[in-house]
Amino acid sequence: MAAPQPESKIIELKPFTDEMIVSMGPQHPSTHGVLRLELKLDGEVVRDAIPHIGYLHRCFEKHSENLNYQQIIPFTDRMDYIAAMNMNWGFCLAVEQLMAKEEGKFPGVPERGEYLRILIGELNRIGSHLLSFGTYGMDIGAFTPFLYAFRDREKILLLFEKICGARLTYNYIRVGGVSRDTPPGFMDEVKEFIDYFEPQIDVYNSLLTANRIFIERTANVAVMDAEMAINYGITGPNLRGAGLQWDLRKDETYSIYDRFDFDVPVGRDIPELGVVSGDCWNRYKVRMDEMKESVRIIRQILESGLPDGPVQAELKAVRPPKGEIFSRSEAPRGELGFYIVSDGTPKPVRVKAKSPCFTALSALQELSRGLMVADIIAIIGSIDIVMGEVDR
Amino acid sequence: MRHYLSNIYLGVYTALVGMRITFKQLLKPSVTHQYPYDRPFEQKKNVRDIPKGYRGKLHNRIEDCIGCKKCEMICPVDCITITTQKLPKGERLWDSMNVVHLKDRTEIIGNIEGDEKPAPNTTVTINTQDNGAVTVSSEEIANVVERKPVIFYLDQFDIDMSLCMYCGLCTEVCPTECLIMFDNLGDGIEYSTFDRTDLIYEFAKPEMYEKPGDESMEAEAAD
Repeated sequence: MAAPQPESKIIELKPFTDEMIVSMGPQHPSTHGVLRLELKLDGEVVRDAIPHIGYLHRCFEKHSENLNYQQIIPFTDRMDYIAAMNMNWGFCLAVEQLMAKEEGKFPGVPERGEYLRILIGELNRIGSHLLSFGTYGMDIGAFTPFLYAFRDREKILLLFEKICGARLTYNYIRVGGVSRDTPPGFMDEVKEFIDYFEPQIDVYNSLLTANRIFIERTANVAVMDAEMAINYGITGPNLRGAGLQWDLRKDETYSIYDRFDFDVPVGRDIPELGVVSGDCWNRYKVRMDEMKESVRIIRQILESGLPDGPVQAELKAVRPPKGEIFSRSEAPRGELGFYIVSDGTPKPVRVKAKSPCFTALSALQELSRGLMVADIIAIIGSIDIVMGEVDR
Repeated sequence: MRHYLSNIYLGVYTALVGMRITFKQLLKPSVTHQYPYDRPFEQKKNVRDIPKGYRGKLHNRIEDCIGCKKCEMICPVDCITITTQKLPKGERLWDSMNVVHLKDRTEIIGNIEGDEKPAPNTTVTINTQDNGAVTVSSEEIANVVERKPVIFYLDQFDIDMSLCMYCGLCTEVCPTECLIMFDNLGDGIEYSTFDRTDLIYEFAKPEMYEKPGDESMEAEAAD
C-alpha cells in the first residue's frame, strides 16, 4: 500500500489559478511587426509562449524561381526592410560566389565597388541598430530615445537617398558591384555625419543604457548562455551578447573586411550593475558597441578615401553555371545565408534564405518560460526581430 | 533596506542625467515638420530639396522610345505593358543621334562631331537639334548613348504606377534613356489620386507618327 501523500504538497498546488490563454498580437505595438504569441498564463507568470508566424509571408523563395537574378534583388530589400543594403549584399555575394565557380565567368568586384559596399553596409548597420535601440526603449517605457534614434537615422536615410534614390528599398548593391557611383560631395557629407554621430552614441548611453530603471528591467532577465545560443543556432548580436566572439566579418572574412581594423564587442558580467552575460541588457549593449565599431570602419574608409575606377564589373550576363552554393554574410541581425541552386539558365532553380531573426525567434519559447508578461516585451525587443525577414 | 534606498537614488539620478540631455533639446529649434501644411521642400529653410536621382514616378519621353520592350522584360512586377507595330521597311522617323550625359547629371542631345568615344583631355563639339553647337571637355562626359531611329510604332505604352515597386531596373536597361524616374516633388512624389485607375499612365501617342498628307493614317483614325 502506497504511503499517503504528504499534506503540504496539496496545499502547494492550491494557489494555482486556472491556466489562461492570451493572444498577444498580431497587432500588438511591441511585437515589431505582425507576430502573434500564444501565451499560457498562470496569473502574471508565463508558463509557455508559442510564437505563431506567417502573417507577413510573401512567398519570396518560390517567387524567386520565376525571376532572373537581377529581378530578385529588389525582393531581398523586402526581407529585412530595416537593413535592406545588407540583404542585397548577402544575395549578390551568393550569386557572385556561384558565378566564380566557373573559370573566367566572374572577374571580381572592382575596388571602388567593394569600398562603397562596406561604406553603405556599415551605415545601414548603424541605422538598423539605431532603430533597434529606439524601439527597445519605447517598448520598455522610455519614449525619448525613440525620437533621438529616429532623428539620427533620418540623416543616414538622407545619405542613402542621395546615393541610390530610395529611402527604404534601396536595390543598390548589384551582382558585380553597386548600381551607381557617389554623387558629388557625398563623402564630405558622410564625414559630416560621422563627426556628428560619434559623440551622439555617448548621449544615447547616458539617456538609456546607464538608466537605473532600464537596467532593473533588463539585467539578469532571460539569460541565454553561449551553449544555449549555439544549440539554437543563434547568430549576430544575440550570440555575441552571450559572450561568444563570433563575427563573420572577422572569422570568415568576405569582401575586403580584412583590411579594416575593428573589434568584436561581446557581452560580459558587470556585478555592480547586476548584469550577467547573455541577458537582455547585454544583447542590447552589444548593439550600442557595434555602432562604435561601424563608425571606426567608416572612419578608415574616409581616411584612405575611395579608390578610383568603376563601381561595377562588366558582366555580359548574370548567368551562373550549373551548381549550388551556400553563402553567408554578417547582417546587422546575424548571419544571413543564401542557398542557390542553378541549372545554368538566367533563373535560379531554388533560392533558400536562412534568416537570423527566425532562429532568434525560435529561442523565445524557452527564454520566456517562468517570466512575467512584461518581460516578454523586454525579450522581443532585445532579440531584435524583423517579421519581414522571419516570414519572408 | 540600504539596497532599496540606493536603488531609488540611482533611479532618480540616472533619470535626471537623461533629463539634462532632453532639456538641452528644449532650447534648440524644432526638427519636426507638419508635412502637408508646412512644406519644407518649398520653403528651403534649413532643409533640403529632393536629391537628384531620386526614384519617383516613372515617365517615358515617348518621342525617344524605340519600342525595344527591354523595360517590360526586366520589370519584376510586370507593371509595364507595351504593344508595337513595325514600320514599313526603309522608313524611319529620324536619323541616329547621340545623347551625351554629363557628370553633373545633365544631358545634351545632338550629334557628336568626329569620334563617338571621345579621347581623354580633348574638347568635344555637339551639334544640337536647334542648330547650335555646344563644346564640352571630355572629362565632364559621363556616358554617351546612341539615340536610335524609331522603327516601331508604339500602339500602347502603359505603366501602372499602383503596381510599380520603384526598383529602377527599367530605367537602367533603357537603351535610349527615355524612360526616367522623376526626381522632383510635384511630378515624382505627390501624385496620389482618389481612383486607382488614374494611376495607369498611358504614354503612347499615335498621332505622333502621322506625317502631313499621310492619307492612310488619317483614314485609319477616322474609322
